[in-house]
Order: sequence, then C-alpha cells, then structure tokens
Amino acid sequence: MGRSGFVVQRLLLLIPVAVGVTIIVFFMVHLIPGDPAATILGIHATPKAVALLHQQWGLNRPLASQYWLFLDRLLHGNLGQSIYYGGSVSSLILSHLPPTLWLLTYATVLTVLISVPLAVLAATRRDGIRDHVVRAVPLVGLGMPQFWLGFLLIYVFAISLRIFPVSGYGTGFTGHLQSMFLPSLTVALALTPVVIRSLRASMLNVLTAEYIVTARSKGVSSRRLFQRHVLRNAVIPAVTVLAINIGFLVGATVIIEQIFAIPGIGQLMINAIFQRDFPVVQGVTLVFAIMVVLVNLLADMSYAALDPRVSFER
Amino acid sequence: MKHRTTTAITLIAVSALAALAGCGGSSGSSSGTAGAASGAPVQGGDLVIARTADSQSMNNTTVFDNESIWIFEQIFQTLYTVTPNGKGVQPMLATGYTVSADKKTYTFTLRSGVKFSTGQPMTSADVKFSIDQASAAAKGWGYINTAIKSVEAPSPSTVVVNLKYPWAPLLADLSLFSNGIVPANYGGKSETDFYNAPVGTGPFKWDYWHKGSALKLVRNPNYWEKGKPYLNSVTWTDVPSDNTRELQLKGGQAQVDEFPAWSTVASLKTTPSVTMNLFNSTRTDYLAFNELRKPFQDVHVRRAISLAVDRAALVKAVLFGNGKPANSLFPPQVPYYQAATQGLQFDLAAAKQEMAKSSVPHGFSTTILVSSGFSDDTTIATILQSELKPLGINLKIQTLDPNTVNTNQQSLKYDMTLTYWTMDIPDPDELATFGVDPNSGAKSFFTAYNNPTVVKATHDAEQTLSTSARQDLYNTVQSDSASDAFMAFLYNSPYAYATTSSVHGFYVTPLGNYHMENVWLSK
Repeated sequence: MGRSGFVVQRLLLLIPVAVGVTIIVFFMVHLIPGDPAATILGIHATPKAVALLHQQWGLNRPLASQYWLFLDRLLHGNLGQSIYYGGSVSSLILSHLPPTLWLLTYATVLTVLISVPLAVLAATRRDGIRDHVVRAVPLVGLGMPQFWLGFLLIYVFAISLRIFPVSGYGTGFTGHLQSMFLPSLTVALALTPVVIRSLRASMLNVLTAEYIVTARSKGVSSRRLFQRHVLRNAVIPAVTVLAINIGFLVGATVIIEQIFAIPGIGQLMINAIFQRDFPVVQGVTLVFAIMVVLVNLLADMSYAALDPRVSFER
Repeated sequence: MKHRTTTAITLIAVSALAALAGCGGSSGSSSGTAGAASGAPVQGGDLVIARTADSQSMNNTTVFDNESIWIFEQIFQTLYTVTPNGKGVQPMLATGYTVSADKKTYTFTLRSGVKFSTGQPMTSADVKFSIDQASAAAKGWGYINTAIKSVEAPSPSTVVVNLKYPWAPLLADLSLFSNGIVPANYGGKSETDFYNAPVGTGPFKWDYWHKGSALKLVRNPNYWEKGKPYLNSVTWTDVPSDNTRELQLKGGQAQVDEFPAWSTVASLKTTPSVTMNLFNSTRTDYLAFNELRKPFQDVHVRRAISLAVDRAALVKAVLFGNGKPANSLFPPQVPYYQAATQGLQFDLAAAKQEMAKSSVPHGFSTTILVSSGFSDDTTIATILQSELKPLGINLKIQTLDPNTVNTNQQSLKYDMTLTYWTMDIPDPDELATFGVDPNSGAKSFFTAYNNPTVVKATHDAEQTLSTSARQDLYNTVQSDSASDAFMAFLYNSPYAYATTSSVHGFYVTPLGNYHMENVWLSK
C-alpha cells in the first residue's frame, strides 16, 4: 500500500469519526437546558423577543431537521453563522486556531527539549541521585493545578523579572515566541513528568538489549550509541504517550487560554457553550475531532520515520 | 560523553531562553512614572483597556450587552446624552428644542459643523433614518421608542419628532444608544456590512475587531469637538480572568482594568502608580421571589425573608465594604429616587413576626437558583442559607450554568434567585415598567408581581410632564413595591475600574458608559 496509501486511508477514516462526533455533540448540546436567547437578551429577555430570536435562528424547528440542515451546510463547506456574533463560524474558527496551534506546538517542543536530556540523564545514572531528582521534581508540575502554576510563572517572569509579557498572544513571529513562552511552559511542565518517566523506562529497557551490548563491544562511541541506537528505539513508546496527551490537550488548553488571555479554540469553545452558540459548538467540535485524528496520524507516521521495522504494507 | 550531550543541550536551551527574552522588543512600558502631574491634557498615546468579555455586535439597535454598548458609544452619538451625575440629559448632537402646546411635537435644532468620520456632514436625514431604524418593531430596543409616531426632517438642521401622546421620558429615550445617529441608508452599505465597520460622528472610528482577542478604535480626525479626542487609539482586550487583568495592569500591558475583584480593591487602593476608581453606579442587586410558586405568593413570607437578610453583612462579605444596602427598587443615582423609601432592612424579630402571620408559620423548604462561576452569587446564597434558618426556612442552593439560570428565570422556573439591574437611560420609566408591570413582557422582573396601584402609577408617570406629579407617582411605586417586598433589595455597588496613574479624565457615568474623548495619558 505504501505510505501515501496509508495516509489516504487514515484521512478517509476521518469522515465517519467526524460525522459520529458531530451527531453526538449536536444532540447533547441541544438537549441540555439553556437558551442562546438568554445570553443575547440578558435581563431584557421578554417572551416575545425570545420567540423572535428563535424563529430567526431556526430553533423552533424539530431537532432532527435542524441537524439535517447542519449536515447539509457542512457538506457544502459551510459551518453556519454564529448565533452570538452573527458572523461565519468558519472565520471565527480560522482566527482562533493559530493561537491554539502555537500553544500545542510550542508546548510539545518545550516538552521534548526538557524531557529528552533529563530522561537520558536519569536512565544513564540509574538509581543515582540525579535519577531520583529527575523522577521526583517534575512531579511538582504534574501535581500543581495549572492555573496556580501559570500565575506563579507570570508573577516571577513577567511581573518581577519583566522578561515576558503577562499574557496575550502577541503580534508577529517573535511576538508570539515571547508571549506564548510562559503558557507553553505551563503546559510543558504538566506533560514532562509523564514523558520523562516513559522515556526513561523505555531507555532502560533498550539499554539492556543485546544489540546495544553488541554495538558497545564493536566500539561504537557513547554519543553515537545514544543517538543512533538508544534514543531512536526508546522514543517510540514515548511518542505514543505524547500523542495521547496532545489529544487530551486539544480540549484542555481552555484553562491556559483563560489565564493567559489567549484567543484560542478552547476559549472559543467554552464561551460558545456558555452562550449556547450551537453552530460554533458544533464547528469547534468538528475541528477538535479532526485535530485529534491528525495528531494520532502524525504519531503513527513518526513511528515509521523512527523505526524502519514499521512498514505500511499489510 | 553523555555529560557533554547533556551539557550541550542545556547550554542551547539556556541561550535560547536568553535570546528569546532579549528579542521581541519591550513587553510594555514600565509602570507609570510617579508624580506625573495632571495639568493640561497631552495629545497622543494609545490606551489599552482590559475587560472581562468580548463584545457581541456593534448593532446599537439590537444588542443588550454592555461590552458592545460601551464600545459603540465611542462611535455613535445621540441627540442628547446623560449628565455626569446620571440624573438628567445635556445636549450633544442637538443644541436645543421647542415643544408644542399639546406636548406631542418636539422640534430639535441640530448642532452645526458635525461630520461623520468619513467627512460627510451630518444632517436631519441621517437623524430621521437613525431614529426610524431604532424604532422598527423587530429590533431589540424598539420598545423604547413606542411613544414616537413619526420623525420628520423639514430642513437639514431641524428634526421634528411627533408623539402619540405626551411622553415625559422622551429626551432620556433619545439619549439611549439605540437612537445613536448613523449615516442615512448606512451610507449605501447593507446593514450587516455597515455594522461590521460602523461609521458615526463620535470621537473614535473603526479600526479592527479580532473576535475573542481585541477590538481597536482610532482617533476620528473629523470629530466636531475641537482638540478632542486626545488619544490616538483605544484598544479593548478580552481578559476573562480577574487575576490576569490585574497582572496586566501591574505589568504595563493594560492601563485600565475593568471590574477588578472586590477582594483586591483595598490592595489596589494602596498600590502606588495605580488609581482605584469606584464610580457611583445605578447597579442594584436583588433577591427575586417567584410568585407563581408557593409560598411566595404570600406577602408575609416575602417580607419575612427580606427582613431576615443582613444587608450590611452582605456588603462586607461580598463587596468587601465597597457598597451600600439598598432601600428601594430604584438606585440613588436615578431621578425620582425616594430616599425615604422604607425598603425592608435587617430585623430578625420583625421577620419572625411576619412568619408567624404567614401561611407557613413553621417554615418550609425551598431552593435558590444561582449561576456557577460567580463567586459573589454563591457567597450571597450561602449567607442567606444561614440567615433564613431561624425562620425555619430550609434553603437549598441550586447551582447551574449562567445560561440555564437565565433561561429558567425568564420562564419563571425557579423559587428564589439573584438578579440585578443597571439603568440605560436617566429616567426611571424603563426600570419601573420592566420591574413592576406584569404585562410589559418581562412579567415584573420575572416575578409575576402584580399590584394594580403600582402598575397604574408607572403608566401615569410616563405621560405626566410635571416633575412634582411624577415624583409623587414614583414615590408610590417605590414605597408600595418596598412594602410588598416582591423582591428583597440587597445592595448598591459602584463601577470599579483600576487605572494606572498616567490615565486622566477617565470617568464612568452612573449608567456605566464613559466618554473616551476626555481621556488622556500623561507621559
């Protein structure tokens, strides 16, 4: 089948996943109590105004026909209009996607930059002081609530030391690099304990493998040993762990986005749910589903890059 | 070997961090230089206001959301505007008026030299179009203009408003943002396109709106008030977290922090380089009773509960002292407020007496509906729980998300709930009608309260122009609604804004709006 066939097959599988997710979310969000008119009208909601808005938004039609309309629009590439803002859902999503993608990518990069050297340190100095420190200290990042950790970092690095801005997304590439550092670090500090441990464990596994002993006896230098043999083999389970966590992250960035005032997809979703902005909720859910599937696809493809034993042939 | 790899990676990481910190320019100005004297306003500067939520739409005729209203008020202006003390109106785009003997025809003279930000002069045709579109029935604020029969534009600088009947709140209604002046026929654009990039006569004009992130307005070079605005631009950023807004203020990323948490007000007052403003507001918080649910149809039950609420304790616990117990449906800042209104205050003995007279002298079980995510509301509900115990009332707190709470409140599916009001116009008519008239569409603030005397007084006050007659009528509304205790009036709270000390001229009227043309930044 080959790599391209594999990718195509996975992308085609995306369709039933997406449709399934949208059905579930559509009915869930419509069945919970609450009314977008309540958000729009606030304390000025009179039954007449509410009824008028319901008619305008097509909410007085039966649920099944509303879903059909949504699906029909979707197949024509139209995600509908936001009830709250009135503008197109797709433009809302497109404008909110980059900050979240930045957050996820930056956080992943930082996680890797922090975890790999530390895991190597721990695995090669097994049961030594350094190993214990590397395994214990990052647990602080895992145990601490993200909002607390976030504010702590802001307080130290943005207010006291003035190295980074307090919050926001920034403008321009360097602006984003600067503004997104603290939020990405907050996410990375929660991911690293898990990645370090899994990487360390799989490295310990690999270090005792026969092919390592063979390579060493052949006189392969330590650095080359690590780069070509140990890391590449050990990293595969860690990639799985990382991919799963990124999948969770796609929705969990909401808290970070709140604290750091990042106009990302998580923020958009939470507000849309509170406002009962049904078209936005449906649109964002679709995007989430696609992102999770794509992340997993990327993870699978990286296995092939890292491990030549993995092939796409059946 | 492994050392070197590790060391190398660590070195790279550290130097990357250092490079990162160095590049990208400064992350905002350092905290305002102390001792910046307020003197003559300084031209220029860009102001950033960190606010709690994003706007919804710039359509001034349909939205009810403050975060939208306070923005487009910098773009659209009205014929009259509220005075700084919130009790009356003063000329803005109109300079004066005459009224016919039968009080049904008002002739307004428009200010000369007013232009839209596009450079087009404003004429009566624009005013007629604007008021007509605001009155259109399907729109949100159409009801405010119900008394208007027609609008005419006999000459470019004269506008005639014909009423169906004499209408006391007319000038106040015309000062409402829904009657803001837009170019006739939206300057040739469709309504949707127009409101995506609105044009008005105000001190600022449209720049951009990144939804969920920031909205920016820039100086209108064609603004009619000479020398104003002082600022080059104002940017409203969306920062939902109280803590983050405060940190942005302290870190120099924002110069204005909208609504800091009450618990932080005291410390902000003592922070050098920060000005903690508490502006008089028309915000009043109430505890509402649903008279369609037993036993709240019984006035003795409502009075008992109202008497059992220690409002001073609420002000202390929730507002951290930044507020006052309320005694009337009307807030003190509204014209025709009656200071002598005997809104029930804390008196446990009297509360027990009322319970004894009621249909449920031994107490009962009920629930209070509260929005999640609002710690103030949860605090109030918890305090109420313990305050109502001596009366034998077992209060359960039902916490739901804000949208569900609003929906339930509006369809009268609750026992007790917390609600509030802020005035939109400097006239009590809007509040009175909304609050005590079960047929006004809001079913008396969603309580189903119906006292025909009070309802009649509200209607009569609309069509009487005599201020003393209106005062008497509104006194009746306030006194009777207080003794009927259809809601327990809890407290009045101010509008809290923390600014850096470099911000001058920032003032919020009791209606909640502000005029950015008066604001300037000292260096």
